[in-house]
Amino acid sequence: MTDMLPGLETVLQTLATGLLVGCTYGLMCVALGLIFGIMRLINFAQGDFLMLGMYFALAILSGLGLGTSIGSLPALLLAALASIPAFFLLGWVLHSLLLARIAQRRGATEGEAHQTQLIMTLGISLVLSNGALMAFGSTPVSLNTPLASQAFVLDPLGGGDVLVFLNEARVLAAVAALIAAGGLYALLHRTDLGRRLRASADNPLAATYMGIDVVWSYRVTFGLGFGLTALAGVMVATYYPFQPYVGLDFVIVMYAGVVLGGLGSVMGSFWGGVIIGLVQQLSTLVLPLQLQGTTVFVVFLLILLIRPQGLFGRSVERA
Amino acid sequence: MNRIGRKSPLLLVSALACLMGMGAAAQAADDLKIALIAPVSGPMARQGDLMRKGAELAIQDINAAGGIKALGGAKLSLLVEDAGDKVETAKNAAQRLVANRQGVVAGTGSWSSSLTLAVTEVTERAALPWVTLSYADQITDRGFKYVVQTVPVASQLALNAMPTVLEMAQTASGKKPTKVAIISDSTAASQAFVQPLRDGGFQKLGVQVVADEVFTPPLNDATSMVQKLRATRPDFLLFYSTGFPDAKLVLNKMNEFGLGKGKLPTVTVGVQFASPEMLKAVGPELLEGLILVAPNWPSKTQEAALPSLTSRSGEPWLGQDTISTYGDVMLIKDALERAGSADGDKVMQALRTTDRKDGPADFYLGDRLAFDDKGRRVGGAVGLIQWQSGLPYLIWPKEDAVKTPLWPKS
Repeated sequence: MTDMLPGLETVLQTLATGLLVGCTYGLMCVALGLIFGIMRLINFAQGDFLMLGMYFALAILSGLGLGTSIGSLPALLLAALASIPAFFLLGWVLHSLLLARIAQRRGATEGEAHQTQLIMTLGISLVLSNGALMAFGSTPVSLNTPLASQAFVLDPLGGGDVLVFLNEARVLAAVAALIAAGGLYALLHRTDLGRRLRASADNPLAATYMGIDVVWSYRVTFGLGFGLTALAGVMVATYYPFQPYVGLDFVIVMYAGVVLGGLGSVMGSFWGGVIIGLVQQLSTLVLPLQLQGTTVFVVFLLILLIRPQGLFGRSVERA
Repeated sequence: MNRIGRKSPLLLVSALACLMGMGAAAQAADDLKIALIAPVSGPMARQGDLMRKGAELAIQDINAAGGIKALGGAKLSLLVEDAGDKVETAKNAAQRLVANRQGVVAGTGSWSSSLTLAVTEVTERAALPWVTLSYADQITDRGFKYVVQTVPVASQLALNAMPTVLEMAQTASGKKPTKVAIISDSTAASQAFVQPLRDGGFQKLGVQVVADEVFTPPLNDATSMVQKLRATRPDFLLFYSTGFPDAKLVLNKMNEFGLGKGKLPTVTVGVQFASPEMLKAVGPELLEGLILVAPNWPSKTQEAALPSLTSRSGEPWLGQDTISTYGDVMLIKDALERAGSADGDKVMQALRTTDRKDGPADFYLGDRLAFDDKGRRVGGAVGLIQWQSGLPYLIWPKEDAVKTPLWPKS
């Protein structure tokens, strides 16, 4: 039995970490999934939005010095709360100045509009990452909150033989992710605004006939997606060191999560992210650590083979 | 009259120009140039800057003490060429240097071994004496005559690092460690260091490898690795990470699991872990107790000179790049004195036959500064540095150490 205990402890620890990591991935995926699900736009700048969120947190905690004056936890909560409206606004402006303009070229078909928007997001991505490189330099920075190196210690069996450590920063990130994803679900399914957004996604033409301003809906979606990604950035920055190209570390996971959950299914993206986190961590129990990334894609390919529409996607073609 | 009047300012100007030209020529004859080819732009610019500071300080000190006495008090000046971050840019810098070589007697550089390999290809053909702190074996494996390495080469460093760590641990705690865990990333540099140890190196030293984790950067979470450390309870950890974000994640996680701050002694490789940038990014708490293996670091032999050097450099503390480059220039100065000539062959001959226990030898670890037939350092030692109360100090070799090593007794 005593020989089994480190095994049990390792399994529980890995499971807990997988869930915590997965929730944060879920938030990133849900933001990307929202933009894709409603606007049908593949957003290449998603990783850079995440990076901006991280530097936003740094600006609030270190730049404004709130991390020391009011304490790192309140400053972090403030950064998290402020990130959504701040980046919503930025997303709104980006959409109205750049994306909407090229999408509304006279005579462009829907396909052409998507292609030009896709290239535009790639351009935005390059401008953001290189602009950040000029502004912040290439040296990695981090928030240095005590949360990242402290843990809540659980003793599930009592007696102290089996201990599970829950990193405080990760727990905070997971809680924020759950609240944000839950809030988004409520917004999409319980409010009039949500109904309008979903209508614009399902059938833009019919939505227009019903008096819904589809371009406005897209703008709100893009802003929301940007805001949520920045929130994920703030939360990830609490434990992950970052530099202007940090988005690349996460963007593959985001896309995998969204496709896994089902392209177009906003909440499916969240679960896609959670599954990626779990697979990534649980694979280390039986496979070498180096195969962590590979395992994610093996599971990803398997699910696509069995359910091409993703776990929560609908297989019907959109009108 | 009018015509002459118009011409006279022109005449004056040309006469002045002639005089100025003569002045410059006279100055050039007196001045001996030491070249530094280092990355002063691109991602390695910080290291290049630290090297430049070392070279500048050494030249200031040499000139203030009367220059090269054997050459009639000739003054030294520094010529910096930017090695950039690629082999091509480094090679171009070296070609620029040898094309305008007038007055350059010897050089040092270029931090990264791959850059140094390219630079020495050019300086060798131009018969320009070269001194380097880069420690790849290949630099002196090519039968080159015009290069010397002032620190132990990588293979010696790897071979001697772990016996040195074990000896230090035994001295500090009274007990030899017998169980080690290895965490390394999958990059070539890490694996080149770890592989021989994994393949029987540790076994020969009587140390059992209880966990051996290799990860591919970037790491997203360090829990599974650190959980293994908790489960296998090694006496110490050999941690080799080339990327600093990964290192931070692992150090954070170790602290979270109660293994940080030296509770599980952690040995890592590379002076980047002892830089002011690392302190700023990771914080003193996580670095406390961390031990680094490095070929050179400020030691007891420089105790008198160090405070002034540090304050003049503007850095919070001096590290390998600055102190080694300072030493390299001092070594070139020593060779010039012994050669009594600025001729490249004579200077190189003097460099190769260096055998000093003081003077330039004070700026390197080990008891003796000499070179073998290949131009490799003889009498060098592996340095161990430990973070103690927020600063990185040399803790080994014992005779050079400025602080006593901290290693848990139990």
